[in-house]
Amino acid sequence: MFINFFYKLREVGIPVSPTSFLTLQKALDKGLINSMDDFYTSARSILVKSERYFDLYDQVFANRFEGIALDDNDGLLIDEMTQEMLKGWLEDPKEMAEMLGEDEEKLSKLTPDELIEYFKKRLEDQDGRHDGGSKWIGTGGRSPVGHSGHHKGGMRVGGVSKNKSAVKVANERRYKDYSRNRPLTTADIGEALKRLRNLVPAGAKDRLDIDGTIYQTIRNGGEIELIFDQHMKDRLKIILLIDNGGWSMDPYISVIQSLFDYSKAQFKDIKTYFFHNTVYDTVWQDPSRFKKPFKIDEFVRLDPDTRLIMIGDASMAPYELMSQDGSIYISSRSGQPSIQRLNFLSETFKHCVWLNPVPERMWPYTRTIQTIKEIFPMFELTINGLEKSIAQLMAK
Amino acid sequence: MTEERKNFSGASKYVLDSELAQIVNVSMALEMPLLLKGEPGTGKTMLAYAIAESLGMELIILNVKSSMKVIDALYQYDTLTRLNDSRFGDSTRDVSDIKEYIKMSKIGQAFTSEKRTILLIDEIDKADTDFQDDMLDILDQMQFDIIETDEVVSANKRPVIIITSNAKKDLSDPFLGRCNFHHIAFPEASMMKSIVDVHFPSIDKKLAKNAIATFYELRSIEGIEKRPATRELINWLRALDTDPEFKTGKLIKNKVPFLGVLFKKSQDYERATMHVTRRKIF
Repeated sequence: MFINFFYKLREVGIPVSPTSFLTLQKALDKGLINSMDDFYTSARSILVKSERYFDLYDQVFANRFEGIALDDNDGLLIDEMTQEMLKGWLEDPKEMAEMLGEDEEKLSKLTPDELIEYFKKRLEDQDGRHDGGSKWIGTGGRSPVGHSGHHKGGMRVGGVSKNKSAVKVANERRYKDYSRNRPLTTADIGEALKRLRNLVPAGAKDRLDIDGTIYQTIRNGGEIELIFDQHMKDRLKIILLIDNGGWSMDPYISVIQSLFDYSKAQFKDIKTYFFHNTVYDTVWQDPSRFKKPFKIDEFVRLDPDTRLIMIGDASMAPYELMSQDGSIYISSRSGQPSIQRLNFLSETFKHCVWLNPVPERMWPYTRTIQTIKEIFPMFELTINGLEKSIAQLMAK
Repeated sequence: MTEERKNFSGASKYVLDSELAQIVNVSMALEMPLLLKGEPGTGKTMLAYAIAESLGMELIILNVKSSMKVIDALYQYDTLTRLNDSRFGDSTRDVSDIKEYIKMSKIGQAFTSEKRTILLIDEIDKADTDFQDDMLDILDQMQFDIIETDEVVSANKRPVIIITSNAKKDLSDPFLGRCNFHHIAFPEASMMKSIVDVHFPSIDKKLAKNAIATFYELRSIEGIEKRPATRELINWLRALDTDPEFKTGKLIKNKVPFLGVLFKKSQDYERATMHVTRRKIF
């Protein structure tokens, strides 16, 4: 039962497992599902395991079962449709006649009651529901009376039932907000960054080391000796280098802002520096890139275990990256091309990533992205990219 | 299962929407764990309390901690007491019998209980993925081994298992495969009204109406990080209800008191205050 429904769900990309489908069959067998509404909720809870897919599920469900729900209210539906058709006729008799393929004159001779009868008959003639085609009633076709047809003035059928049916609920698409392609929020960033930690023993020795205690006690011939140990604390050091200059980064300010806010709250030992487009001799500790310069060479003195996170669109003119005096600021031209500086950074800190707010599918179109991607492992600044980059940073 | 099938239809302090009721009942009948996600404060944990109350079953709560191992949730082997006993020998316990030192933890308690219980595994996302993976087998088999005594503990009566997760990201696929899933959406205003009615049967109607309207307005402020949820609204109403100045329901048009109950992050609080003052000026 509902095998097509199952495959349709898989087709649109919802990961539905056969096991869960069997579970649904079990639920049906046991008589737990007694109505369309029950089926809608139960099937969703059994088959779909993430709210991100709820919206897709709603769409598939509406598509699959709309016909059935409409069948249930046939009488009511036809009444309503007739009303609509009558209204349409009164507003524009010519068009209505054309749509029905009848002569306007012939129709206009009918009394209103006869007209209604005629409309009803036409509607009832339809044997079952069909989609597409250019006749009668269906969805998506060019028929005048159907759901989202192309025909000018076509009438809307979907969701006219009076009771709030499961299909109606599905048609409401309440879960649109949760679907996958929403922007990154602070909470998401928090979730991802939580994985980024480096536990080392720290602080006072206040945790009882049970294995050690047993070992020592036995060595003492049964005389108990308590062994204490330090707690594990997170002591991860992070350097954040942010490209905050130029128009090209402007669209991404808010997402970087939230990443920045969150990482400040999350990590105790975090240093942030700013640069424009790419790194030359110095980076700055102040966002205006003016007051507090910091020499790149100084980075050598920092702990090489520090995780380096570069954030920027990596998009610039190729000479800015390659040329010896590539900087667009005269004062920061030094004779070393930026690409060497980047290489230096990635060699100094072996745990490094570049987060790029530009969508990954756009990367091949920018040459500097290609070049920088070879120096730093580059990830998209999205939930998935962030997670991959964390895995990269935590890799041994 | 010879037990008569009980159906869950809400409890005295929990307003249940029909969707969730159906899901709870299906999960109970299929004997599958139910995984609940949703914004903090939308009543994920409360649901377990409500089921326990309405079906008269015992509720066992496992609060998952970040450092937790699955074995901690199953049973504890009290090495220290045993060590102590073996050294001083002044207890009635038999030191050579390891069973004397095995204590059941929450999951163990739920399995060994004589009656069918409700096991709430709260905030499973706090622990790392290993925890979830290890949990899989146990939920599947409904049994676990006690390594020290080589005993198998299996569930007398399969407990009703409710698992909550706050995580925005998904749990591992095999884990999800064994659960039913529901996402508790944030209640709409009409639903919220009945939730408020349940909690404050005697509250001033006007106050409740104004407060709910204001609450939804404040929730929609742009850029709020932790949006206030049902829990915050209830607490806020409780505060308003006790304050004689606002009790009559006159509030709120120009003045929104006790913002701190609704907004707990300082940035959010500032934003909300700004929003409220601006409304007063224009």
